[in-house]
Amino acid sequence: MQTHTRTQHTHTHTHTFILLPCLLRPAPVVYLVAMCRAVPVNDLLDRASQRSDKMHSLSTLLTQEMDSHFPPYGRMQMPRPADCHTSALQTPNDKEQALQVSESDLMSLARSLLQAWVDPLAVLSTSAITLPHPSKSSISSKIQELQEHSKSLADGLDILSGKMGPSAQAISFLPYTGGTDLGQDRVTILNKFNFLLSCLRRDSHKIDSFLKVLRCRAAKLQPELC
Amino acid sequence: MYNARMRTHLGLVILCVLSAARVCSSTSAPESPRKFDCRSREKETFSCWWEPGSDGGLPTEYRLFYTQERLREVRECPDYVSAGANSCFFDKKHTSIWAEYTMTVVATNALGNASEEFRITDVMEYVKPDPPVNVTVVVNSSAPSPFLEIRWKSPPDVDVRTGWVTLKYELRVKQNDSKEWKTVDIGSETFFNFYNVYPGLLYMAQVRCKLDHGKWSEWSNTIFAEIPKNHQVEKYFWIFVFVFSLIPLLMGIYILLLKRNVVKQCLLPPVPGPKIKGLNAHLLKSGRSEDVVNALMGNQNFPPVAAWTEQVEDFLLVSDSDEWLLTDSFASEKKKDIFIIPAGLHLGLEIQCRDLSVDLNTWEKTDDSKEEAKSNFLNTEPINLPVEKHEFLNGEEMSIQPLANTSYVDIQQHPTLTDYSRVKEVNDNTILILNEEEIPHGLDAEEVKSEVSVPDDYSRVKEVNSDVVFLEKGDSTDGCCKKKEDHYTDWTNQKPIMPLESELSKGFCLKMIASGYVDSGPAFSVK
Repeated sequence: MQTHTRTQHTHTHTHTFILLPCLLRPAPVVYLVAMCRAVPVNDLLDRASQRSDKMHSLSTLLTQEMDSHFPPYGRMQMPRPADCHTSALQTPNDKEQALQVSESDLMSLARSLLQAWVDPLAVLSTSAITLPHPSKSSISSKIQELQEHSKSLADGLDILSGKMGPSAQAISFLPYTGGTDLGQDRVTILNKFNFLLSCLRRDSHKIDSFLKVLRCRAAKLQPELC
Repeated sequence: MYNARMRTHLGLVILCVLSAARVCSSTSAPESPRKFDCRSREKETFSCWWEPGSDGGLPTEYRLFYTQERLREVRECPDYVSAGANSCFFDKKHTSIWAEYTMTVVATNALGNASEEFRITDVMEYVKPDPPVNVTVVVNSSAPSPFLEIRWKSPPDVDVRTGWVTLKYELRVKQNDSKEWKTVDIGSETFFNFYNVYPGLLYMAQVRCKLDHGKWSEWSNTIFAEIPKNHQVEKYFWIFVFVFSLIPLLMGIYILLLKRNVVKQCLLPPVPGPKIKGLNAHLLKSGRSEDVVNALMGNQNFPPVAAWTEQVEDFLLVSDSDEWLLTDSFASEKKKDIFIIPAGLHLGLEIQCRDLSVDLNTWEKTDDSKEEAKSNFLNTEPINLPVEKHEFLNGEEMSIQPLANTSYVDIQQHPTLTDYSRVKEVNDNTILILNEEEIPHGLDAEEVKSEVSVPDDYSRVKEVNSDVVFLEKGDSTDGCCKKKEDHYTDWTNQKPIMPLESELSKGFCLKMIASGYVDSGPAFSVK
């Protein structure tokens, strides 16, 4: 049912994957062929990785924008990356490890990370409007764009994972426990904002890397996609 | 007593001074290292460098210890050498992306140590690849304009085959003497066609790359390329030549069009149509040559003069055909005298004929000349001639009318020439020039008489040329003839030639010798 709901989101959302709902349902093959225009998995993965690349680019720009006007309040005082709410997730940390992970697991990891940032992005979005920062409007628009990309990518990965088996569809639950309020004073708010953005940058890069490895692996006949 | 205390104090003072001096001049513990920086070239390994502080004058050893985000244990740097002095190189085994490194660099010497902690949040923050290699530029001179084909290769350490790394390139090109670079974002391809170039200029190009939205690499080596400028000038040159050669051609065509009438007259002179009325062109076309000759010259045996004179008075043409008859208009037009002297072969009379055709203006012009010629001829002619002429003249008026009516002959009705023995020559106009031999007068006359159904008018016709001039041949008046003929030739030579081929085609035309219509040259042969 949840999948079905997501599918309808796919229709209405402007940035969604161009996939038809009949691909999800276990319809007869004849019906599928007659009614749908199947998009190959390579193409889907290419679109997904382009989306994740855009997300990573946005998050990198966000951190740079934050730093340009507000230098970190001392590296030691910032929360450590280990404190990111997604740090519990075991992910490959180098090339050898990443190449050894199965496609399903890679997809599952990407989807889990993506799912984990739905709520924090919402918090960031609301906080950006009142952020005590000179370029908060630019930051706010970037965060909104990030949200859109994240949503459409999640929808697309849902469909892709449906083609890859049950292990790809498993999502690790990584709840965000930071609350909706970033703090009371300016410094706290900015620090928390910075910290969240750095976590987001790391996780978006992970998603991007995993999907690109998947894309390259799936497109063995087209090495130019790698 | 005093000496002992003094010595002890002095010794203490000396000791203090000595100890103080030792502290000032000698080494100390090292200072902590400063400025920590790292770099990863390919997202698989990374290196870090530190700047050592003061070493305290003693040989100082630097050691790096690190902990990773996940690892609890403290590890020491695996490689102090590969990255140079005061560095630590982390190979693939010891590199973890997205993991936090806490580096502690410890400086130790004999007197102590100092350490500093550095935190690497993410190795990805320090990713900076090497610049692209093998940058080549080729000038492509194909139409319509030349462009630069720039190619390069990814840095050698970066592995682009597995998807672990995504490289993006940036290209910049500028003219050699310009200061502005033109920058292009390439994406992941390793080639680019740069079109914004002009012939004759020298260009330089550079490429750089970045890995996964990290830092840009340094610019690659500069590549130079010069655009040749020959072909453009050559193209313009040939365009100019072509255009300028077209102009006279077009002008010539324009002039030709303007003067097309003149050109038409030059190349295709109008052929005058036959203008003699009353002549039957069809008969001439379909008739046999002998018929034509008969029509024009009559029988070979011309009747004697006497007979002719009789005939003169009585100009009656016997014919079966109605085509003989001329219209009244024909007769009434110009009152031209028709001088037909059927002298046969003996007579040296000339036959003067006049064209009855009215259309030809030249006839009118030479009317006077005809009169003159006539008078001339009359003067020079032998005795016979004036007599005959006189007779002729006398009978002229009477005979003119009927003669006018009979000035043209239905050629086909004429009997054919039975005796060709006297044919001397046949020229182009199917005229039989009969021989000049003497023929018995009476014999001929009788023969002619018997045979002639042709009007005797033509019995004396010596020759009919294209201009339908009758020249009478004969031996009796040879001298006169000759004179006449000479005169005739003189006349004809003097007068302008009027081409009258059409007359022949329609029939024959009796016209003045001296009228100038005779083809002066070969049309008649003067004997």
